[in-house]
Amino acid sequence: MTQLAAQFETGEGARLPASGSPPPWIRISGVEKRFSSRSGEIVNALSNVNLYIQDGEFISVVGPSGCGKTTLLRILAGLETASSGTVHSGGEMVTRPRADAGVVFQQAVLLPWNTVLDNVMLPAKLKGDASAARVARAERLLDFMGLKDFARKYPFELSGGMQQRVSICRALMRDPKVLLMDEPFGALDAMTRESMNMELMRVWSEERKTVVFITHSIPEAVLLGDRVVVMSPRPGRISEVVDIDIPRPRNLKTMGTPRFGELCDHIRTIFGAASQTVSSL
Amino acid sequence: MSRTKSIFESHRLQSILVAVVVIAVWQGACKLFDISSLVLPTPLAIAARFYELVASGTIWPHLWATTVEIVAGFVFGVVAGLAIGAMVSLIPVVERLVYPYLVALQTLPKVAIAPLFIIWFGYGLTSKIVITALVCFFPILVSVVAGFHATDRDELDMMKAFGATKWQTLVRLRIPSALVLIFAGLEIAAVLAVFGAIVGEFVGAQVGLGYLIVALNFSLDVPGVFAVLIVLSAIGLVMHGAMRYAARRYIFWIRRNEAPVMA
Repeated sequence: MTQLAAQFETGEGARLPASGSPPPWIRISGVEKRFSSRSGEIVNALSNVNLYIQDGEFISVVGPSGCGKTTLLRILAGLETASSGTVHSGGEMVTRPRADAGVVFQQAVLLPWNTVLDNVMLPAKLKGDASAARVARAERLLDFMGLKDFARKYPFELSGGMQQRVSICRALMRDPKVLLMDEPFGALDAMTRESMNMELMRVWSEERKTVVFITHSIPEAVLLGDRVVVMSPRPGRISEVVDIDIPRPRNLKTMGTPRFGELCDHIRTIFGAASQTVSSL
Repeated sequence: MSRTKSIFESHRLQSILVAVVVIAVWQGACKLFDISSLVLPTPLAIAARFYELVASGTIWPHLWATTVEIVAGFVFGVVAGLAIGAMVSLIPVVERLVYPYLVALQTLPKVAIAPLFIIWFGYGLTSKIVITALVCFFPILVSVVAGFHATDRDELDMMKAFGATKWQTLVRLRIPSALVLIFAGLEIAAVLAVFGAIVGEFVGAQVGLGYLIVALNFSLDVPGVFAVLIVLSAIGLVMHGAMRYAARRYIFWIRRNEAPVMA
């Protein structure tokens, strides 16, 4: 463990933008996260993570469990603080949850006693703004996600995919600059998952958010991302950042193209090099 | 309970049928084996005695007294349980300093302190109300504390991520989440309220259904005792039913098969 931790890795995501292009919206610099386990052992959840993300960019983060990808997202969301290193978003340091980031969790995490509309309205209500204009925005978002007829229903009356769509509406409610998504479709069945991927690409092309999308599915990461950040465990670190040069718009047919297969294979090779447990992926 | 749910309508019919059969067997066995009515009176004898108690008006003052004790004791116990439970849950100092003593107090059999309450509060309704309130207090206290501790971690994260203040998290998340277990506590307390009032009356009273049972027992009026027991179980069922009705209304998002409450 300690030997591996000593093995220093430099994140390759910290490429400085070419002169003339706008500064990156999110800057992750030298982020480390250490937990002490119950036995007092220090666990390196994240080790020297560097990544610059451009405004409007779609970043997929892929890696096996234990690679710290969820920890990274929680730090980006301000739900946890880094042990060392900094995260800047829009020029400001992230120390706690910010209004300019919308988070979508692994589970939909809807409040069961609130209607779908009230759940989407939650971020506005927490800011004390339940005006008609906000309600109109919530309804527009639900309409956009094909949930118009479900606004007055309760979460338990909806399927898992629909619940997750509600939680995406909620994340978009305050019109955030950044959308942080932590394996949002991991709990869904394969068919629903594919349609949710298409849905998300549609949202992204309309709303043009900067998206950080965590997943453990390589095809999903490649299909959605402008770049795929490949992470490996023990210690959690960035192994490589892969540019996805497949033109948009992409759809499910994209997954059948040779280039798509090459990129997926390439990412699998990175995992193979990083550990011997490639079969577990 | 191996009956299938697909025939719910006949399921209910079967329940009634079971009751009819049990009562018939009871009646038949009493006659067949010539069991003394001092040991086990026949259902018909109980029904006749029940009618007498109602028709003569004997039962009404007792029923009224016990109902007052149950309802008042339940209300006071629940209010105190909610208030102290909320303080224990939300103020860490109170939890650290007071909760251990409350738990220790809970292990005390409430019946054992009932005589003291008679000395302190007299033979009237007050002592029974206090005993009932005390009996109802603990399940509510425990359910409130457990309820507040049961807030889902993901939901707390979600509230935090969307910038909720502590107060907003309390009102919008922690209290509604706690309601699920609080209603389970209410259901237990509703049944215990009947128990508390009767125990209080056993220890010392001049009126009430518990007093009536003691009096009827003393004169070996066993059918009369059974008749009062029927009234008591009816009160218990009404209390329990009211709580279930409230639970279905106020924690509607919990589907029936998921509800952590007694059937």
